[in-house]
Amino acid sequence: MRFLPHTDSDRSAMLDAIGVSGMRELFVDIPAEFHIEKGSLALADALSEAGIVRKFSKAAEKNRNATNSCYFLGGGTYHHFVPAVVDYVISRGEFLTAYTPYQPEIAQGTLQALFEFQTMITRLTGMDVSNASMYEAATATAEAALMARRVSRKTKVVMAGSVNPRYRSVTANYLSRLDGQYVDVDMGCFGTDLDKVIAAIDEHTACVIVQYPDFYGSVYDLAPLRVACDAAKCLMVVAFSDVSAFALIEPPGAMGADITVGSGQSLGIPMAFGGPHLGLFSCKQKYVRQMPGRVCGLTTDADGKRGFVLTLSTREQHIRREKATSNICTNQGLMCTAAATYLALMGDTGLATVAHHSAAALQSLLSQLPAHITTTAGAHYNETILSFSDQSGRDRFLAAAQAKNMFAGIPLEKIDPKADPSHLLVTTTEMIEAEDIKDYITLLEATK
Amino acid sequence: MSHTLNHSDPNHVAQQYSSTQGIQHEEPLLFEYHHDAPESIQLPGVEGALSADLTRFSRSTPANIPSLSEPETVRHFVRMSQWNHGIETGFYPLGSCTMKYNPRVNEKVANLPGLAHIHPDQPEDSVQGVLKLLYETQGWLGEIVGLPYVTLQPAAGAHGELTGLMMIRACLDARGEHQRRTVLVPDSAHGTNPASAALCGMHTIELKSGADGRIDLDELKAHLNHETAALMMTNPNTAGAFESDVKEICQLVHDAGGLVYGDGANLNALVGVARPGDMGIDCLHINVHKTFSTPHGGGGPGAGPVAVNATLKDYLPVPHIVKDADAYHLKTCSDTSIGSVLGSIGQSGVLIRANAYIAAYGRQNLHKIAEDAVLNANYVLHRLKDAYHVPFDGICKHECLLTDAIQNKHGIKTLDIAKRLIDLGFHPMTIYFPLIVHGAMLIEPTETESRATLDSFCDAMLEIATQCQAGETELLHQAPVKPFRRRLDETQAARKPVLAWPT
Repeated sequence: MRFLPHTDSDRSAMLDAIGVSGMRELFVDIPAEFHIEKGSLALADALSEAGIVRKFSKAAEKNRNATNSCYFLGGGTYHHFVPAVVDYVISRGEFLTAYTPYQPEIAQGTLQALFEFQTMITRLTGMDVSNASMYEAATATAEAALMARRVSRKTKVVMAGSVNPRYRSVTANYLSRLDGQYVDVDMGCFGTDLDKVIAAIDEHTACVIVQYPDFYGSVYDLAPLRVACDAAKCLMVVAFSDVSAFALIEPPGAMGADITVGSGQSLGIPMAFGGPHLGLFSCKQKYVRQMPGRVCGLTTDADGKRGFVLTLSTREQHIRREKATSNICTNQGLMCTAAATYLALMGDTGLATVAHHSAAALQSLLSQLPAHITTTAGAHYNETILSFSDQSGRDRFLAAAQAKNMFAGIPLEKIDPKADPSHLLVTTTEMIEAEDIKDYITLLEATK
Repeated sequence: MSHTLNHSDPNHVAQQYSSTQGIQHEEPLLFEYHHDAPESIQLPGVEGALSADLTRFSRSTPANIPSLSEPETVRHFVRMSQWNHGIETGFYPLGSCTMKYNPRVNEKVANLPGLAHIHPDQPEDSVQGVLKLLYETQGWLGEIVGLPYVTLQPAAGAHGELTGLMMIRACLDARGEHQRRTVLVPDSAHGTNPASAALCGMHTIELKSGADGRIDLDELKAHLNHETAALMMTNPNTAGAFESDVKEICQLVHDAGGLVYGDGANLNALVGVARPGDMGIDCLHINVHKTFSTPHGGGGPGAGPVAVNATLKDYLPVPHIVKDADAYHLKTCSDTSIGSVLGSIGQSGVLIRANAYIAAYGRQNLHKIAEDAVLNANYVLHRLKDAYHVPFDGICKHECLLTDAIQNKHGIKTLDIAKRLIDLGFHPMTIYFPLIVHGAMLIEPTETESRATLDSFCDAMLEIATQCQAGETELLHQAPVKPFRRRLDETQAARKPVLAWPT
């Protein structure tokens, strides 16, 4: 087996040195009834490296992908451009095959990258501090609710119905085994009605969670929510799904958020059929000791040189056990390095271009929509809902588009099971060209 | 530390952190490059003015993300990478972490565009290839651990623990046993176990380990009652010992009306040799970033699929991959499911690497993983057992536990030994864990290390022991002196945390 360095004579010599008669003797502490016969498991036969490449290439060929199709898909996962340098940096063995930096003297590469990542995430979201990642956006949202409960010492969580249904569902799931009320405020529209959200706040409320831009792509003013949260002494949690928006619009921090959570997948990380992505978590400085997850901090070494370490670990499970702020241990470390590399390559200007093109593509599409498609007014970043007269009209369009190698949107009920099946969530990024929009409109008209 | 934050003379700071030691380079922070932004990366897309509706919300101040040219960016991160130790650089015997070689072919296939650049909400008929791989992975993992029903959704081991406990709780609730909210956790367990139980709304009782480091049956019996929801057991345990009473332990818990959760962090000792499901474990998470070789990435990503037996199968999270006739589907609803624990079906890119790894060993060779892993750990134990205190006698499984008891007499602690190993060219073992012995050193060599590497590591450990014996302790207290940075001040970092570079 090519991954195993020992020869049979090595094995014999080592067994002799240990003083056992054979490999079996190293397993005598496992009761005999549990030993399974070698080779008896129902697995496939061993493959050579060439065989593995063949098998995976065949599987990959069966998937339509963003190199041969046009993607108007979003809803939490986005097809933004991934520069070659990002792939290269995270494939360096020193980053890829390192463990969590528990021995900082020999992990300064990972640690400085984490510190740079944290810094840039705080700047992009307008917050004070960021942790060194959560799994992804839905679990990060749940962790924000838990943190707000600890900070406020209250238990009720108010969730706007315009937050991504998957973030809502995971958060509700996490909270369902703990004491306290969870209120999911129905919006009754494809946008965020802050009045309804604010009406659900009371003196027991630990936090309010909204999404900005919301699940339907709407951009709106969060100022009234800040006022309401101050009045009720609860925390304002702002979720997001495409962090590239904050190169264009006011970030949640500037709108007064106490905690922001969301996906960083847009920062140089491929869609990869749902993961690994990157959960972002940032908050105000005063709440840092209640923050979940690992965090990297600045310090000095024995010679007075600048260096970095994982810090505030007394919040974490390996020290605090059942009283930890979270059970998270393994996170998405490598994806932080990917995001830091992406951000450095882009800079303010590149990020602004990504955001501008993403928004401009949607506006171009909306400006050309045929009359039989309706949409909602107001400010949108790069996503919105297109409504068809019925499901069959929508599905006819989707099928025609797919036949032309275009994924024209996500049927809304696929993410929000309660939605009427005549709606389509459509998303644009900088990877959409003017030609793609022309094709989109042509297909809409052809399938009317 | 104030000088590190002194901005008054940025050129001085930049200079200080851009010197070299031979070809190991200092490298400033991204924020210390003091030049104007170079021409931005070219991006595709649609240009055009944006509506006033949207520009009303325009960002008032730029984010101040530094911009480096492409060659500068590459050099910045490559230099930083060179300050890191990875499994590709050298031996990495972190106990309970299973730092084995990560096959490069797995990276290659996972990065194929048809696997990397696909959206989770594409129509099912356009992703049959990846669904087939994931479905196969589900089946293989279930077969390997002897628990046939598998969810791929949990994103990491701790997330798997939470998911498993949620299923256990749902099962007990369905039996009408809402009072079962106590989880028994041995004192040798990973910290994630009690933290996950708390997150699942349960309370934990810590079981004191027996004199041999294993679960003490009397201690277990004393705490089993009508409130017991589960026992969380790690087998082999974190002292590297197999819980030989596993069958009786599971029987006792089941007789008391509880279920047995298996922490699969140490599965590398069993893979292809024995199956937790056959021993009475009801539910087990699998750290594919340990046992199945997916890279740790400096802290993640991992994946923590959970395998269960028939008792728990109705409670698996959704979505779940199913097959009918020749097509694969995502089953998104079920009346009894615990619901979703992640916003997607799982860390697909990690899981398909695990598939490639299992495929490489195949049915014929999988047991060689556990055999060589256990052989290597016992070999290290054998070579070090006279120079270091071994708290628990007998053969070990995939990792061996030592302590600093002998060296302590010379004023040397586990931390000093660990740091001295760095100077001698090795990543230290896991230190101060498990908590059941004082000054723990937990060594997990894994199966992908050669005898020569093990010998040179053992030689280094013996050299350290000799130095202690000879009173040459200054060398140990000062260590490490050779790497890029010497011992870092963790107290200072925590007392006044600086977690971001000031604007």
